[in-house]
Amino acid sequence: MLRSREILATLRMLQEENLDVRTVTMGINLNDCIARPTTRMVEAVRAKIRLKAGNLVRLCDQISTKYGIAVVNKRLAVSPVSILLEGRAPEDALALAQALDDAAADVDVNLIGGFTALVQKGMTPGERLLIESLPAVLSRTERVCASVNVASTQAGINADAVRLLGQTILRVANATRERHGFGCAKLAVFANIPEDNPFMAGAFLGPGEPECVINVGVSGPGVVKRAVERLIESRPDCSLDEIAEEVKHTAFRVTRAGELVGREVAQRLGVSFGVVDLSLAPTPRVGDSVGEIYQAMGLRAIGAPGTTAAVALLNDAVKKGGAFASSSVGGLSGAFIPVMEDHALAQAVAAGTLSLEKLEAMTAVCSVGLDMILLPGDIAVETLCGIILDEAAIGVVNHKTTSVRLVPVPGHRVGDRVDFGGLFGSGTVANVNCPDGATDFIRRGGHIPAPLRSLGN
Amino acid sequence: MKPKPPCRFVVTVLVPDRVAILRDITTAVTDLGANIDGVSQTVVNGYFTVTLTAAFAAPVPRETVRQAILEKFAPDEASVDVIPHDARRTARPPVKGERYVVTITGTDRPGVLKTVTSLLAAKGVNIEDWQVGFDGPLVTHIGEITVPPLLDIKQFQDEFRQAMAALALSGCVQHENIFRATNEVGAVRMLLEGRAHA
Repeated sequence: MLRSREILATLRMLQEENLDVRTVTMGINLNDCIARPTTRMVEAVRAKIRLKAGNLVRLCDQISTKYGIAVVNKRLAVSPVSILLEGRAPEDALALAQALDDAAADVDVNLIGGFTALVQKGMTPGERLLIESLPAVLSRTERVCASVNVASTQAGINADAVRLLGQTILRVANATRERHGFGCAKLAVFANIPEDNPFMAGAFLGPGEPECVINVGVSGPGVVKRAVERLIESRPDCSLDEIAEEVKHTAFRVTRAGELVGREVAQRLGVSFGVVDLSLAPTPRVGDSVGEIYQAMGLRAIGAPGTTAAVALLNDAVKKGGAFASSSVGGLSGAFIPVMEDHALAQAVAAGTLSLEKLEAMTAVCSVGLDMILLPGDIAVETLCGIILDEAAIGVVNHKTTSVRLVPVPGHRVGDRVDFGGLFGSGTVANVNCPDGATDFIRRGGHIPAPLRSLGN
Repeated sequence: MKPKPPCRFVVTVLVPDRVAILRDITTAVTDLGANIDGVSQTVVNGYFTVTLTAAFAAPVPRETVRQAILEKFAPDEASVDVIPHDARRTARPPVKGERYVVTITGTDRPGVLKTVTSLLAAKGVNIEDWQVGFDGPLVTHIGEITVPPLLDIKQFQDEFRQAMAALALSGCVQHENIFRATNEVGAVRMLLEGRAHA
């Protein structure tokens, strides 16, 4: 029998601390839709998405009602679209993207990921076409999200692909300049991209995944923050390991809620259940911030010495709690630091306590990378590439996922404010130190070899 | 020769709470040769209450059981009732449906339980357990209920919320698995399969 205290603790998380299921993401394999002409393939894509995901939103809403837990986003992640683009023309890429956009609208999901290419070792014509089509795709569709994997621990870093991505990011920013470069918020560049990540913009159905699968992303920074605050209220001198323990227990509960919802959605749709990804993914709302957790731990200024250690503590405790909660933990699982989407991080950047370089250090121990960073519109392509290369190097050498979502804002300079609204939030254009200092290095292109995996000291 | 029917009683005791009440009651019953095969005990506002079932190997008059318990308390301290256990009346089919948890929070006022239980009864909802806790003027009701399979849960939740809002209270009805998943350590898939955790 349940105890009153347990019931009230769960209720408090749900009603007062913003515990929700951030996303139920259905992965769909589209590889069997390859057909010619392109019009036939596009129709097959639309039909398959409608068939597989037609009931997704309705079922998620029913299960959300049953358990009294919000399912904030319902999304789709398809197999890498670059495979469908082999031997096609630029107009085919746009037609396919628009079909994905339309199908996503038909089944009422807010985003669809999988406009993806995996180019860590080399690039096929279809993958090049996909990348080159991104300015048109991301400016003319609403729901399509794109991701490109440019590096892996196994393959090293494809510096030529990074250079193409740097150019592409600037072109996407210019193609969406009337929305302050918003198209770039839907493009993530990865190292070691996970095949089962349910969070956007990097969600896609990777190789080795089932035909159709439900992956769930749970969040809950508000829950973790309140747990830390309660601990410190009751024991003001508590140690860092006590905080880690509290975070771990809280992560357990949050993960379990996500797995319950995900498994039931999968069961009722008759598809596989994949993973639950517990990632502390903030929203711009006060009380739903990862930065506030660091502040609750005792960091008065985010970015101060000790911030990287705080990120490491949080990230590790979240992973441990999640791993104990479920045998189906996957995706990114840890703490995100998307600057624009987190009001406390955005304020720290605006106040100058949190620099791009400090954020980069934090990404070595958090679960993703430099996420939602606003940059000056006149930034050089080599500077963008340098940031991507640095972040990829951190991921490749540390055997972890890193990604960048960089948003050059046309016509804006360091210190300018930009507001995308909604979940994408607002922020301040960040400064890049020595922006032209690595131009010659970047222009060499080529490939950075895979790191040695022995002699690990 | 037909075997004698077993002698089994249902015993209820109500008494101001103190240490060792349950010891006194179980000693009185056990010393009469009984095996206690069911107990539910709680304390409400300082009053200890217990319901137990006891099977006797040899027939014992119910008044003997009652007096044996009363002797453990001061005169007029306890209220004791002993009735024969009627297997035919208690052998009702189990209530079918899924288990939900009802929570009500807010400032206490007369009539809350009457309103809630009337609403639940009208929907064919069976109450399995109900607890009420107070913190100053604030009250928290937590009930575990079984909801009939054909009940439209969303409509029921909405009606329940509105009924509580009319009393200036906050009310929720949620499937018990959200509470079990977040508080128990067994596999989540077992909850969905309707299997209890070991």
